[in-house]
Parts: sequence; structure tokens; C-alpha cells
Amino acid sequence: MVNFTIDEIRALMDRKRNIRNMSVIAHVDHGKSTLTDSLVSKAGIIAGAKAGETRFTDTRKDEQERCITIKSTAISMFFELDKKDLDFVKGDAQVEVVEVDGKKDKFNGFLINLIDSPGHVDFSSEVTAALRVTDGALVVVDCVSGVCVQTETVLRQAIAERIKPILFMNKMDRALLELQLGAEELFQTFQRIVENINVIIATYGDDDGPMGAIMVDPSIGNVGFGSGLHGWAFTLKQFSEMYADKFGVQVDKLMKNLWGDRFFDLKTKKWSSTQTDDAKRGFCQFVLDPIFMVFDAIMNIKKDKTAALVEKLGIKLAADEKDLEGKPLMKAFMRKWLPAGDTMLQMITFHLPSPVTAQRYRMEMLYEGPHDDEAAVAIKNCDPNGPLMMYVSKMVPTSDKGRFYAFGRVFSGKVATGMKARIQGPNYIPGKKEDLYEKTIQRTILMMGRYIEPIDDIPSGNIAGLVGVDQYLVKGGTITTFKDAHNMRVMKFSVSPVVRVAVEAKNPADLPKLVEGLKRLAKSDPMVQCIFEESGEHIIAGAGELHLEICLKDLEEDHACIPLKKSDPVVSYRETVSNESNQICLSKSPNKHNRLHCTALPMPDGLADDIEGGTVNARDEFKARAKILAEKYNYDVTEARKIWCFGPDGTGPNLLFDVTKGVQYLNEIKDSVVAGFQWATREGVLADENMRGVRFNIHDVTLHADAIHRGGGQIIPTARRVFYASALTAEPRLLEPVYLVEIQCPEAAVGGIYGVLNRRRGHVFEESQVTGTPMFVVKAYLPVNESFGFTADLRSNTGGQAFPQCVFDHWQILPGDPLEAGTKPNQIVLDTRKRKGLKEGVPALDNYLDKM
Amino acid sequence: MEVVGLISGGKDSCYNLMCAVKDGHKIVALANLHPPKNAESEELDSYMYQSVGADGVELYGKAMDIPLYRKEISGKPKNQNYDYEKTDGDEVEDLYELLVEVKKQHPNLKGVSAGAILSSYQKIRVEDICRRLDLTPICYLWEREQNELLAEMVDSGLDAILIKVAAIGLNEKHLGKTLGEMAPIMKNLQDKFGVHPCGEGGEFESFVRDCPLFKKSIVIDETEIVTHQDDPIAPVFYLRLKKMHLEDK
Repeated sequence: MVNFTIDEIRALMDRKRNIRNMSVIAHVDHGKSTLTDSLVSKAGIIAGAKAGETRFTDTRKDEQERCITIKSTAISMFFELDKKDLDFVKGDAQVEVVEVDGKKDKFNGFLINLIDSPGHVDFSSEVTAALRVTDGALVVVDCVSGVCVQTETVLRQAIAERIKPILFMNKMDRALLELQLGAEELFQTFQRIVENINVIIATYGDDDGPMGAIMVDPSIGNVGFGSGLHGWAFTLKQFSEMYADKFGVQVDKLMKNLWGDRFFDLKTKKWSSTQTDDAKRGFCQFVLDPIFMVFDAIMNIKKDKTAALVEKLGIKLAADEKDLEGKPLMKAFMRKWLPAGDTMLQMITFHLPSPVTAQRYRMEMLYEGPHDDEAAVAIKNCDPNGPLMMYVSKMVPTSDKGRFYAFGRVFSGKVATGMKARIQGPNYIPGKKEDLYEKTIQRTILMMGRYIEPIDDIPSGNIAGLVGVDQYLVKGGTITTFKDAHNMRVMKFSVSPVVRVAVEAKNPADLPKLVEGLKRLAKSDPMVQCIFEESGEHIIAGAGELHLEICLKDLEEDHACIPLKKSDPVVSYRETVSNESNQICLSKSPNKHNRLHCTALPMPDGLADDIEGGTVNARDEFKARAKILAEKYNYDVTEARKIWCFGPDGTGPNLLFDVTKGVQYLNEIKDSVVAGFQWATREGVLADENMRGVRFNIHDVTLHADAIHRGGGQIIPTARRVFYASALTAEPRLLEPVYLVEIQCPEAAVGGIYGVLNRRRGHVFEESQVTGTPMFVVKAYLPVNESFGFTADLRSNTGGQAFPQCVFDHWQILPGDPLEAGTKPNQIVLDTRKRKGLKEGVPALDNYLDKM
Repeated sequence: MEVVGLISGGKDSCYNLMCAVKDGHKIVALANLHPPKNAESEELDSYMYQSVGADGVELYGKAMDIPLYRKEISGKPKNQNYDYEKTDGDEVEDLYELLVEVKKQHPNLKGVSAGAILSSYQKIRVEDICRRLDLTPICYLWEREQNELLAEMVDSGLDAILIKVAAIGLNEKHLGKTLGEMAPIMKNLQDKFGVHPCGEGGEFESFVRDCPLFKKSIVIDETEIVTHQDDPIAPVFYLRLKKMHLEDK
């Protein structure tokens, strides 16, 4: 019994001001999928009674079994908002005005495209993909555990993508039933969470920024409270409405009194900001007390009192519900009194931006081309009649093995079944032919959780699925009809694929199936990397053990369908330098007629992070970038203007500076040197790992006078050699990835945690008690290399009481000279080279360094 | 007209001669500059001349049955500018002296055949010398599309093998391969790295074993691979031609 049809949804797609594209994000186990059920059930897709148990958006069998979300799932829903609530939707761009019988009226039907995304850090890349296509985020926080590491990670990402957050405090039932918190304690808990969230918002966002104020504040109604499991929720608006008549004030004025330090004196009947003997906090008195009363009456089976409350609050219990008592009755009661679906619908429609609002400030973050070209203007205006601009953020497997739906957001124009469009991969450069296909869109579809629905066309501002473009895109890309369109910016992931395993087919004859399976796996996950080493090894790189486990399972069961042999997981390293090259290195071209002179040196602390985080970007305007580099990193401003490129992949955290003075033909060899630089930074000299945080300077070049003798065939290898020589003479070092580990456990288990961490080169940097609970939170840094089996080890040493969450945090230098036999880095280099089938031992410097 | 063929032993100088003959010119002499006999290495990394394969050039004249004039390279690439003017002690002056000698022996000499395709550096120098000696440079290959040219050479019955590699993507296993075998490999490297398919940027050097102008063909009996620069990225190898003989066709 779905209470809307596809036709209704299609009609609503044209009313772009009445669309809300939103993602639900949170730390693992804070109850996103469960809460999402409330909305889904309101839309009539699942039975109301089952909401909270179905986890509709967990579509995979393993998701249902493990009770965690692995893949993000999209669902489109149609709702009608109560007419009286339409006034709460502020702003022209937030609601359509329609004319009925000559009378102008706000339109009350809303289309909500919701994406439920995973909370486990290993699947953060799914969150990134979800955020890209949405404009708002419902941040769910378990009010007992509070703000956790993944809450911060995803919220930070949301703000970076200019996604407006609203907050929901979940699991209030636990706070009431298990922890038995008093009203004032509960208020303090809530307030602390609001503050924590706002601290994160203030750290990564800017109130004066283009999104406007994005702080969360219960008194304006963008913070919800409740229990997804029990299906009830409220904002202060609901309670204000109950009292507004009694007090004779407006709902939004009263809401301000129901939060923070506002106290109501029962004797004088006056509000004040200071607490006096007869005054009680508004939130406790008018919001929590009634809820406590209901809980007390029902849970302690006070039948008379319960009956009175049913009467007073006008709860209409069904016949079979009247006989219930205790918890089941409480659930039924609360669900009728404060239905979660209604509350969430209001929060979403009132406080999250429509595509019209959001695209106005998101365009400059999304589009790589000039901000005044046809595509940019159409995106900015969310113009359905402009050229098609769609970003595909991920690939969703279809029931047809090996085929995928391309899932993404239409930012301008319309995407329609049977239309011809340009499919631009991430390596497409305007004006060139690489990574560009012109193909017909076979079919456009609507994603509905477990189902899909074909639809003729989808206009701007909506989320769409496409059939028939999967073979042209690896993971994502831009779809457009505008022939001069630049790409939509690729997504930055907050996690890195730092853990890798090698796989091979148990039966060597299955190799082609394995290769095909790996290609499919690479498509189906936004972040996983499938690498084919020259040694013939097949490598899968993921964010962590769990991520890899799921990837391997998918590969074995869905994508390749063959038995696999898997190696133990190993870690990706980075190569860097710790000093400036001890000489200006010289390399000659194979024909000996061209010479390059270079040095390497470490970049200042933080610059590599800024590049990876996107603050310093390869595509920035070079003068503005030079200014930032000069101000923040003390780089010489004229030098900083002469950055030739970033690398690897043109965007990575290594820089190539041109510090030459008046060299002839230099520009002609730039492309070749850049190609050599990309190569050298992608496959470092030590162990073929990526380089990180290295600045290379080109000091001088001597070139053959005739262009034919200084082509790519001569210069590319020479550039690569000179960069290797520069790195080898600059005290090269290995960087290892380090996790931030957050562990929640009872006090008694803390000792066990320290033991396990010490054995694994981990160190604790914060230990605190979760206020109002007996739980402790320990935060530590742990090298990823030491993390394999960490969860199991931790559980066995704490009697199963400690649960860690590991999220990639930073790279740190592994102490020791990788060139000196017997050191740990040296051992890693040798092992890695062996695994990759490279020549044993790091090649000596004279392989790369030539004499004058 | 009567021309002298500048030959290196490689495919371009040979094919240019074939073109000259087809066009009605008469080849009266061959000229070649070779590295000093006592040099440490056969590869001089000269800016002008192919030096690898010089051992085979001696047979070249006999194979064609045309007088061959040779001279040791004594100069150095002193003037490395794009343009050239007479520079004492430059390797280009060796060519001048050699051609003076040839002209003395063949007073009717009018033209000089040279196999440059795209190297202006080499062409400018040959032209400078021709001007000074009042000779006409003859360059049929100049600015030809390289893939097409390479295919044409293979079809013309010119049989040459690689004797030196010095570019990204090429290594010792390519030594001894024929032009026909190399053509697809070079095309691929051209697409990937902008390597010149005919080896015009010094990517490889070749040695001609047979062509329609040869009365006898050259058979290579024994070779040795020499590593000129051992580097894991773009190593340089060449083939030392240790023993060869002529065979009737």
C-alpha cells in the first residue's frame, strides 16, 4: 500500500522548490536506518507497525543480518504537509506558489529524496557519494553515547560540500528507561550534544558563509528528539503548539522559551532568564515533564492515570492496543501522540534547503569550469530548460549480473530515456577526446530502496538512476548535453584506501573471471581500488578490515563467483623526504643531449593535508593559490606562482616548482617533465608507493637545440630519473598510515585497552567519561599496520566490553632510514618490492644520477 | 646529377639513396664518418653522426660496389646552437673535410644525399657545408610523415635491424629486430609518450643488411649486446657487430 504513485512523484519533480534532497548521516549504531523507517512508513511504503524493525533501506542480506548499513540507499517519497504548517517554510525558493481558482496559494506536496548511508567509518566513501547528490543532512546522534568520531567525520564532510545539517537526538527511550536520567540531567545531556555539534560546525564552517547560519538550535526547531525504534519524535514546535493557545503567544516565540536558560515561575506566571525557587526550566517543565509523566504512568502500570492521559492528549488507540500494557502500550501511545514521521517531515521541509536554494551556493563548489558559462549559470539557477548537467556519484549493482545503474543528481536540464548525452569521465579535459563518450541513455529510473521504477525523464534538482552508461564510467563522472561543459568536481574522500590484500583464483583457469569480477567490484564501490600489479598480482585496497571483508565477500559471491585465495592484509605506505637534497642532481636523456637539474625537499607541515583536503587545489587560480602558500607556508610568492603541477594524478600532495632562470625552450618540455613527475610521484623510488609531501625544484635544464631531439621519449624518462635521484639524496623516508581509534567501554575495561594498545605501538591521547553514564571513551592513535585483528584482540582482553572504531587519521614517518639494511622501514621496502615483483633492493643512486 | 651518399649504415641514409636513384641521380661515391678506432666506446653520443654500427659500414661500400670514403670523427659538438656557422674543431668540420676529399676525386660531383627526416639541427649543418662546397643537398625524407615513411621503407625491400635503443619503452630485447617488427611497437610508444616512430629523436639506430641497391647482402654472424647506460627507466643498449660477411644475392 504505497500512498503515492510514480506519476505523482514525476509531477512533483517539476516543482523544484518543493523538493528536498537529503542524506541521513551518523556514527555507526546511532539508529539512522531505524529512524528512516519512520519516514518510509509515513509514506506508506512499509506498514507503520513494522517501522523501526524493518530497516527498509538496508537492502542487502548481510546488512539485515549484521544490522549495519553497508551501501547507501536512495528512496523518493511524496508527502503532503499540513496547510497550516506551510507558513513555517520560509523563503521564496523553498516552496512553490500555485494558482488555484485565481487564488495564489503555497503548494503543500513535497518530494523528499532520502539517502540512508552507512555509519561505519570503513564505508565513509558511501557517505561522501550520498552527500554529493543531496543538499541537506539529518545528523543522527545517539543521545546516550553522544557525538562520536564518525559523527564528526561525516559532519565535517557535509559542511565541506555545503550540505546544511539538522540534528536528531535519537534513542531517548534508552535515556529514560535504561539510564533513568532526571529531567535536568537529560536537558544537560541534550545541550552538551547541541554544543558539540555546533563546535564542529563552527570549526569547519562559517556562519557568514554562503549557506548562511547553519548552527543547530532547538529553539528554532532544527533539532529533533525522540526514539526511532519506538517511532516517536518531536521538536519544540510540537510542544509549543500544545501550549500556544494557553499562553496566548505565537508558536515560534514560545519555542524560544522552551530551550536554554528560560525559566517559568509558576506563581508569578512569568518567564525569566534566571532560576528562582519557584521557577523551573521551560524545557523540563513543559516538554520533559509530560513525557516523564506518560512514561511513569504506563511503565509502572498506573491504569487510571494512563486512561486520563489518553483522554487529555486525545490519543486514539486502536481496539487491540487498548489492552496492551507496559512497553508495548508505551510504544503505541507515544507513536500516536508524537508520530516520528510527521516531526521529521516538518524538520526536513522547514529547515533543509530546496535544490533552488542550495544550488545557488553549491555551484562554485561543484563545477570546475568558468562560473559564468552556460552550464554554471544553469546549475546555479537549477534550470530544467538549460543544458543537462548531471553528476554520477556511484554505481548501484542491478539484478543483472555485471551491470550497474549510474546513480546521481541532475543539477540542470533534464535527463530522459533515449536521449544522446556526453559521458565525461574524471580524466576528461575540455576540448580533448580522452575519457569522453557520446552515447544514448537507455533508460532513466527512479530508485526506491529495494525497487526501481522506470520513468521517462527527470528534471534538474532531482536524484536519478541511469541505465546503459555503466560501461563508460568506472565509478562516477559528469553527464551533459553541453559540448563545452567542464567536469563536475570529483569527490574528496575522508578515508584512504590504506589496507590492501592480494587475491588470486583458487583455480588458475578462473583468472579471466577474477579480472572481470575485480572490474565490477571497482565500479560497485565508490572508493575501493583494484590494482593489477606488473608482477601479475591482483590487489584490492580499501579503508579498513571490515571494508575489505565486505569487498572480498562481494567479489567472491557476486562479481567473480569463483573461489578465491586471499593474502593477509597489508598496508599502503607513502614515500617522502626528510631533508633537502644534498646536491643538485643531474640526469641526462638517453641520447645524452638533454640535461635536467633538480632537487627535492620536504613540504612544510600541513601543506600535504591541505592539498588532500582540497584547501590547496591544483585547479585553483595560480595567483590566489600563491598568496595562500606565501601567507600560510612562507613560500616565496614568485616561486609559488611557478608551480608546474601537483602529482600524482595531477592533484596529489607533491609539488613541482620551476625555479629556473631564463632557460630556452623550457615551455616545450613542460608536458614531458610533468608526465615524468606524475610517474615518479605515483611510483616512488623506494618501493613503487605514492610519494607524499615532497617538493621538487627544477633548477636548470640544458636542451638540444632542435625540438626533435628533446621529445617525450627523451625527456619523460629523464625527468623521472632526476626526480628519483633528488628523492634519494634528500634522506628518503617511509610514511605509514595511522588510525584514530575511539573505544567506548566501562571503566573496568580501560586497563585492558591500554595493554592491547601498547603492544601495538598505539598511544592514548584522550580518556574521558561520558557524562551521565558509566561509560568511558578512550581515544588513541594506532598504526594501521598494527590494526589487523585489533578488534578481536581488544574484545578478548576486555571480556567483550570494548568496541573500537578506527578511522584513518594521518600519515606519520616511520622512524629509520629505509636505505639502511636492518631498519624496519628497510624491511618494509624490501618486502614490498618483493611482493610487487620489483628488482630486489632499492636501485643505487648512480642508476639515476649522471655526471656532468 | 652525380651525388655522394652520406651513409651511417642506418635505414634513413640508405632509403634516401634509393629515392635518389629512382629519381635518376647517379651515386658516384659513399661517405662515412666513424669514431676513432681507439675510442673507449663505439658510441660517441655525437650530435651529428650515428656511430654505432661503424664496423659494418666497411662492408657497405663493397655490397653496393661503389667507392667508400671514410674519415675519423676528430671534432667535438662544439657549436650546439640551433644554427651553425663554421666552427673550428667542431665535428661538423670533419664532414666538410671528408666531402672536400670526395669532391677532389669526383670533380663532377653536384649533390649530397642525406637521410634527415625531422632533425633541423642535422639538416642545417649539412646545408651549411654544401653551401661552402657549392653542392646541392638532396633530402627526400625531409618532413615525411614518419609512420607512413617507415611502412614505405619496409615495403621497398630495405632490410634493416635495430642496433641501438635509447628511449622510454625500448630495451635490449628490441635489439636485432627488423623494421617491420618494430613498426607497431613504435606506433604504440608514439601514442603513449610521443616517441618518434622513425627514431629521429635518437630513440634507436638501425643497420641495413640488404636493399635493392645492394649487389651483395650483408650477413651478420656474431654480435654482442653492450650496455651503454644501465638505468631501470630508460636504459641504453647497443649491438656490437663483431663478425659479418657478404653473400651473393
